This record gives sequence, structure tokens and C-alpha cells, in this order.
Amino acid sequence: MKPSANVEGEQTAVHFDAVTKRFDDVVALNAVTLGVGRSEFVTLLGPSGCGKTTLLKLAAGFLGPDGGSISIEGKRMNDIPTYQRGIGMMFQNYALFPHMSVAENVAYGLKTRRVPRVERDKRVADALALVKLKGMENRKPRQLSGGQQQRVALARALVINPTVLLLDEPFSALDKSLRTSMQVELREIQRKLGLTTIFVTHDQGEALSMSDRVAVMSEGRIRQLGRPVDVYRSPADPFVASFVGDNNRLRGQLVSMQAKQAIVALGDALVKVSGESLSGLEKSAAVDLFVRPEQFSVVAPEEPCAIKGSVVAQIYQGGHVDLQIECAGERLLVRSPGEQAVLRWPMGAPVGIGIQADRCSAFPAA
Amino acid sequence: MNQQPFLRIFTAPATLCAIGFLAAMVAVLQYSLRAYVPGSLDPGGFTLANFADLLKPLYARVFLDTVVVCAMTAVVTLIVGYPLAYALVRVEQPVLRSILLVIVVTPLFLGEVVRTYAWIIVLGNNGFINSLLMSLGIIGKPLQLMFTPFGVVVALVHVTLPVMVIMLAAGLSHIDRDYSRAAESLGAGPIRVFLTVTLPLSLPGVVAGTTTAFAWTFSAFATPQLIGGGRVNMISNLVYQLGFSSFNFPFAATLCVAGLALTALVLGLLQLASRPLQKIEVH
Repeated sequence: MKPSANVEGEQTAVHFDAVTKRFDDVVALNAVTLGVGRSEFVTLLGPSGCGKTTLLKLAAGFLGPDGGSISIEGKRMNDIPTYQRGIGMMFQNYALFPHMSVAENVAYGLKTRRVPRVERDKRVADALALVKLKGMENRKPRQLSGGQQQRVALARALVINPTVLLLDEPFSALDKSLRTSMQVELREIQRKLGLTTIFVTHDQGEALSMSDRVAVMSEGRIRQLGRPVDVYRSPADPFVASFVGDNNRLRGQLVSMQAKQAIVALGDALVKVSGESLSGLEKSAAVDLFVRPEQFSVVAPEEPCAIKGSVVAQIYQGGHVDLQIECAGERLLVRSPGEQAVLRWPMGAPVGIGIQADRCSAFPAA
Repeated sequence: MNQQPFLRIFTAPATLCAIGFLAAMVAVLQYSLRAYVPGSLDPGGFTLANFADLLKPLYARVFLDTVVVCAMTAVVTLIVGYPLAYALVRVEQPVLRSILLVIVVTPLFLGEVVRTYAWIIVLGNNGFINSLLMSLGIIGKPLQLMFTPFGVVVALVHVTLPVMVIMLAAGLSHIDRDYSRAAESLGAGPIRVFLTVTLPLSLPGVVAGTTTAFAWTFSAFATPQLIGGGRVNMISNLVYQLGFSSFNFPFAATLCVAGLALTALVLGLLQLASRPLQKIEVH
């Protein structure tokens, strides 16, 4: 899978060109090419061990590549040490210096740059105001809550006006409600400052909600690079389809194939999918059809439907209800908006399932 | 006791040892308060005269010398040990790390007497250093290295080094690498990272290592005995002379008690001085 190059050459802030990294015999990154546009928020998303953190460390200079090149603002970075790269980095555990106060932590990067005292104090105050931590200057990191520590870490990375902001799973230690508000806040600050940002996460929800573009990674490669909506709606391969968002995998049969559109039979129903991913398949070949839970609709069993089954589990989620429906030995996840489904489709009820026929993706059967 | 059924059995050997030590300590304390009866191995009646004798210049001098030698040893060991400990923690090649570890730890298995004899061979008038310097024509006659505080400190540093390195390495290895990475990302070069982040965060380990080294050398016997040769006296040597040459057990016991008290005092002061550091959370 080739990542699409939808970033203009001169607008590229960070460019990875065929970057390869090996740890002994293990290939952590296999000729990864990725361009991050200026002011763009790009997320590296993937399961642990996919190489996303390695790619970030290569950008930071904590590791050196075994092949390929990394450039920031057009300058080759391969042999430039971290401290000359002008990056800002936020760590998973924040890595605030425990022996320094909040203000000293934020001032650290300005001291290394020999910024004069008066200007330094002003910029530290501005940065702390930006992350809403005024009045905390003299606290030590251990006297702060997790969310406050994170704000200090952000202020410390931002105050030096980095050419690129690197974020290594910064929200993983926060509880859910705090995480959501910090995500929104970080994104607002990032937009306001127009900061080029590379964000690493294994949380696909976080990736979809925050990014301009998402690079879905697995086994040292970028499997798909695109806007969140593209990655969600038109996954490039079965891995992306099952990793990003909830998905149901169903076995179908190819009925007809035209240049751009293929028709797949699923039980009695016919489903239109993009033909691109099925090119070269013979008619009546087996295909894997991926259907999002919200593309299913539950109907009474006597109504026309694609599949029949019975409700085996109800998961009430407040705004919607997730139903697990068993069909021919397989469990399907069906999302029903609102709350009516709780009463309308009780446990054990026989139901029919309809499919919204034009928004699924299909790949040759594995 | 239901939750930890083996607790009593497991702690029994340690308890027995502790009782033994405690009994010995009580005996020493008791002896230190007895009068010395010349010509007799049995002590006389209770008295505080022994403690008053401690203030005599001869004995006060030995205490002072001991503290000075211990302090010098601790400082030199720290200076020599820190780079070793740093290398031990940060070196990434497994082979090099093993070699370092062997170099650092091996002296522990040689015993103080063997190591001290090795230093006699190195420091003697016809020893390694003097023969080398003389054959190079740098000096005309041998330097006096044996029977000097310098020689004693050198040998004591060697004896103490493994303990210091192990304690420092333990402290350094607990410092999360992300702290130095964060400093680098903020524009700090290697020297600044070390001075502003690694070194301050390793101070608790430095205090622990230095105090241990100090206490470790305070009771040194074989090294000052053999290398000091009677001209550099530390408390242990004085205890030995009084106890086993003059058979003045009461005063030997008094010296022990005073030495113990002095060690506790110095360690207490060091702990107090380093209290602000204890609050640093390195993790």
C-alpha cells in the first residue's frame, strides 16, 4: 500500500523517506515514507509493536535510522543530534524534571537557548497562561495532578516554538473525562499556534477525533494514510478495516464486477462495494465483507432482510444500544441509535438484519 | 498470623542472630563502664573513668585521624566510582557491561587482607610505583608511600569502591531515561543534560553511597594495620592494641562504644543534610 502523497513538496515540514529501522533481526520499520505538512496534525496509529513509537523516536533523534532519511523543514536530520533539532516533545509519563519547579521546567528549553532573563520570564508566563496554569509557577511536579502535569509538559514543549511537536501517547495516563477535555484543548492550542504535530497513539478513537490525517501502521509499515473519515469509511485493507472502529466481518460471494463497482451477495441481499479492492477476482469468488455496526439495521424477522438471527446480548450505552446478534454461529455487533432497542429487541428475540447497501468495504477472502 | 503462616519460621534464624548480636553489644557496653585492673583479665568495678580518658590528646587524635581518613576515602571513592557506575548503567553493549561489572565486583571476593597485600607490593619502596618512576628517571630515591595516610587512603578506596559503585549504579539505574531525553529535546547538549538533570537526580544515590562508604571504612582494620604500619592509626587498630597487647578490655570496649556513637552521629548528620533530596521522586 502506497501512502498517498497529498502534501505539496515545499509545504512539507517533516519528511520520512524510505526509513528503515532494525533491532537486531527484527525489522521495526520497513521503508516507511511519510510527509507531514506544515501546521498539520498527523497521527501514527497502530497496535503495540507496529513501529509508531520507533518512527517518533527517529524524528526526535533518540534513535538513528538504518536506511532512508529524515528531514525537518527541508534539512536532513539523520546525523543531527536531538538537541539541535528544535523539536518539542511530550512523553507518555510527561518526564517533568522532579527537582525543578513548574516555572523552572518550562524555562529549561529557554535557558539552553540562552534567552535573556526578562524575555524568558515573559515567555514562561505566557506559556503557563496558555495552558491555564497561572499561579502554579513555584509548585513541584509531584504537587500537581496528572492533568496539571500534562499541561506543564505541554507548556515546556511549546515555549521554545518548536518546528514540530512530537507527542508520545500523552493521554494514556489520564482518566476518560479528563482525557477528552485535554484532547480538545490540545487540538485548539495546536490550531491556534499552527504547530506541525506528530501524535502517536494506539487508541483509534483518539486518532479519529484529533487528526488531520491518520497513518495506520502495522508490522513496520504504513497500511493507510488519509483523513479520519477516509480511513474509517474506505479502509485500504482488512487490517485497517478491523483495527479502526468496530467492524463485522462477513463471508460473501462476488456476483458481478464492473470497473468501479462490485456487487457482493450476502445471503439473500446484494451489497454494492468499491470494485478497486476486488480487482482480478473471478465471479462467484469468496470475499470478506466488512460492515460497520451502524450500517446494520434491526427489523422484525418476517420483514425482508439480509440475515436472520437472535439477540444474545444487549449493551446499553446511553445514546445508543449495541446488540450482539447470533447468526449461523457468528456474533454480529449491531448499533441501534436511541434507547428503543432495549425494549423492542429483548434477549433471545428472533430478528432480521438489514444492511445499508452502499457503504461497506470488501476484500478477497483471507 | 494466618495470612503469613511461615513468617515466624522464616524470621527465626534472623531473630536468633539478632539476639546474639544484642547480647554481645550489651557485654561491650557493660565492659566500657568497668575499671581496668592491670595484670588481670577480669574487669573491676563500675566507673566512668574510661570515657573521661577518651578526651586525652592521644586518643582524641586517633578519632580525628579516623574521621579524616574516612572522609577522604569516601570523597575519593565517590569521584572514582561515579564515572564507573555511570558507565555500568549506560553502556549498551552487553560484553562491555559484563567486563565493567567484573572489574567492579571482583575486589569484593578477594578479601581485605589479600587486597591490602597487593597494595603493599604496589606502594612499597621497591614496589611497582617506585621502581617504575625510578627506572623512568623521574625520581632519584623512592617516594615514601607505605606507612602514610596517602597509602592508607589509596588502599581503602580500592576496598570501598565496589560498595560505592553498586550503590551509585542502583541510584542511577532508577532514573528514567525520558528525563535526559526530555532535556535533549529542549536543546540541552550532553554536558548540560548531565549537570542539570542526571547529576541532581542521582544525588540520593550519592548520599547513600557516601554514607555507606564512610561507615564501611570507619571500621577498617587490616588496611590501616598493614599499610599504616602503626604510623597511621585508626580506631580499630587502637582497639586491637589495647585489647590484645595490653589486655585493657574495658578501655577497648569504651573505644568501640565511642566509635559506634561517632559513626551514628556522622551518618545522622549526613542524613539530616540530605533530607531535602529525599523528596525527589526519580520515577
